[in-house]
Amino acid sequence: MLNSTSNNKKRVPDWLNSSLWSSQLPQQCSKSSPNDDVADRAVKSTSTTSSVKSSAPKAEASINESPAPEKVTVTAPPPVVVRPEAPKVEVQDPLSRYGMYYSSDDNEENGGRCNASMAAAEASVATTAPVTTSSALAAARPASSQAEDISRKAQLLQELSRKVINMGELRRLASQGMPDGGGIRATVWKLLLGYLPCDRLLWSSELAKKRSQYEHFKEELLMNPSEITRRLEKSSLEKNESDAEGKGFLSRSEITHGEHPLSLGKTSIWNQFFQDTEVIEQIDRDVKRTHPDMNFFSGDSSFAKSNQDSLRNILIVFAKLNPGIRYVQGMNEILAPLFYVFRNDHSEENSVSAEADTFFCFVELLSGFRDHFVQQLDNSVVGIRSTITRLSLLLKEHDEELWRHLEVTTKVNPQFYAFRWITLLLTQEFNFADSLLIWDTLLSDPEGPQETLLRICCAMLIIIRRRLLAGDFTANLKLLQHYPPTNISHLLYVANKLRTHPAG
Amino acid sequence: MVLVLAIGDLHIPYRAPDLPAKFKSMLVPGKIQHIICTGNLCIKEVHDYLKNLCPSLHIARGEYDEDARYPETKTLTIGQFKLGLCHGHQVVPWGDLDSLAMLQRQLDVDILVTGHTHQFKAYKHEAGVVINPGSATGAYSSITYDVNPSFVLMDIDSLRVVVYVYELIDGEVKVDKIDFKKTGTATSHSAH
Repeated sequence: MLNSTSNNKKRVPDWLNSSLWSSQLPQQCSKSSPNDDVADRAVKSTSTTSSVKSSAPKAEASINESPAPEKVTVTAPPPVVVRPEAPKVEVQDPLSRYGMYYSSDDNEENGGRCNASMAAAEASVATTAPVTTSSALAAARPASSQAEDISRKAQLLQELSRKVINMGELRRLASQGMPDGGGIRATVWKLLLGYLPCDRLLWSSELAKKRSQYEHFKEELLMNPSEITRRLEKSSLEKNESDAEGKGFLSRSEITHGEHPLSLGKTSIWNQFFQDTEVIEQIDRDVKRTHPDMNFFSGDSSFAKSNQDSLRNILIVFAKLNPGIRYVQGMNEILAPLFYVFRNDHSEENSVSAEADTFFCFVELLSGFRDHFVQQLDNSVVGIRSTITRLSLLLKEHDEELWRHLEVTTKVNPQFYAFRWITLLLTQEFNFADSLLIWDTLLSDPEGPQETLLRICCAMLIIIRRRLLAGDFTANLKLLQHYPPTNISHLLYVANKLRTHPAG
Repeated sequence: MVLVLAIGDLHIPYRAPDLPAKFKSMLVPGKIQHIICTGNLCIKEVHDYLKNLCPSLHIARGEYDEDARYPETKTLTIGQFKLGLCHGHQVVPWGDLDSLAMLQRQLDVDILVTGHTHQFKAYKHEAGVVINPGSATGAYSSITYDVNPSFVLMDIDSLRVVVYVYELIDGEVKVDKIDFKKTGTATSHSAH
């Protein structure tokens, strides 16, 4: 698949073709140093090294620098280490595809080359021996970005260790993408979503409060009516305990308040329970279908099952606390990356409480996008249709030719492709690893996730403009509904540029 | 939390045309996991209606049932409880609790559900509990003329059973509740 990286039909600028545009590895705990990064898009100076392989000796050096952080990730809590190879395989994929652009645009060739090195690397590497992999990868990577990466990681860690965190600075650092190791992403996301306060000293009390609140919710809302009635009766039960009399008619007590299983009353807990059952079934079905390719979410392992249970609990609690919106298909997709990141936090304490943390962050994240899920608001000013229209206008503003070709000439209604992009926050368009990167930018941008999302969607269109302009309705629709794999750093760079250059 | 409906002695269409409307409005599909029917439905249409209510349907043969294929007795396990089912006309004297206790020991069950007398009963003895859901249509029986329509819904939750008794008295549905636990080998009960 040819990846078009040029923004215009003129000669492709060198910097666009440089080897620096390769996507970051998402795998936490397996490699931290070869986190080849998205920082480059913000730092033009490094892009001058358009010829690639200057790096071998430097790469080695950078790897030697980083054994300390490696060790940190290696001793991560069991759940993370246990995480099986499958996600790793999935991760290797983007690597091989976005691999390196050397002098040609031909991905296939690079893909093949990288694949070979990947396969070799993987064969020789256990999950806890990232260094070997990184050396294989490093050979394919420019060291300048690695050094960048390490410095940024250091900067992030430094920022996070302050007593009072400077949110502006954190946002700036985070928007360049975050490394996977050390639980950095988890903490930063919690800060960006407002779950953790800026003042470090308040963290433990806040966390304890929120986590116990979530436990309370679960207890209250996830009980079935049998248990509820049993608890209500407990006190009176103990008073009248008459033990094992040999024979006799069992005595009856009358129910006057209609609390019996077949009750049709609106206030009856039984009736409410049966009405909720439908929603719960829907949630259950969707949870089972979330990311079937990832062992973290699906499969027979007890780890996967417990993760699914957590997802299910979060969604059920959310549905019960929000009777206006309940559960809508797709919420599971937005929940998945959050839970994944928090559950894979290197700190045992955080990983264990991931469910509670994810719940609150999910609520916060969804608060901006809630209206997209409410059917009645579809046609209103805040609904999904209006957001799609805004995307359309944004495209028109930046690339009128493409806009005209798409909407007028080929009549590709943006609803056909942008609906999923927007409601699911791009989780379905890219592989899991890349979507984590995109979310880094989405969450950290000071403009807010809604605006950033639209810019990224616009960038997605602009990047493949050459193919779109050449295609008809069918080809374009097919292309947009199965968005081709692309260099994420480049995508985010273009999205960023859209902010500063309003005139096409 | 398993909901089990115990119902029987409907005698449709010979002694009663249909279930009372108030009962019918309460019995909707999707809530009940099992149905235990003591027998004397009597026709296939009633069987279909119950099957629609819940696919897990267990019936014992009553003397007026038109389908001869139902078994005389049946046992099943739900949760931690073993339930036994028999219409009851086979046990003579009809409705005699000691004789029913004999049957219960024979079947080796914790809860024995029988009918035939068209009278609701819930009785406990050393071997276990006997429950008679009565007649859901209020059909007359050879023993009693004045019959209140009734049926029973059991909520089986691991070692505890809550029995909800639904009776139609003077046109109103009255619901009563009985609680009992299974402890070790004996069933102990607590009223409240």
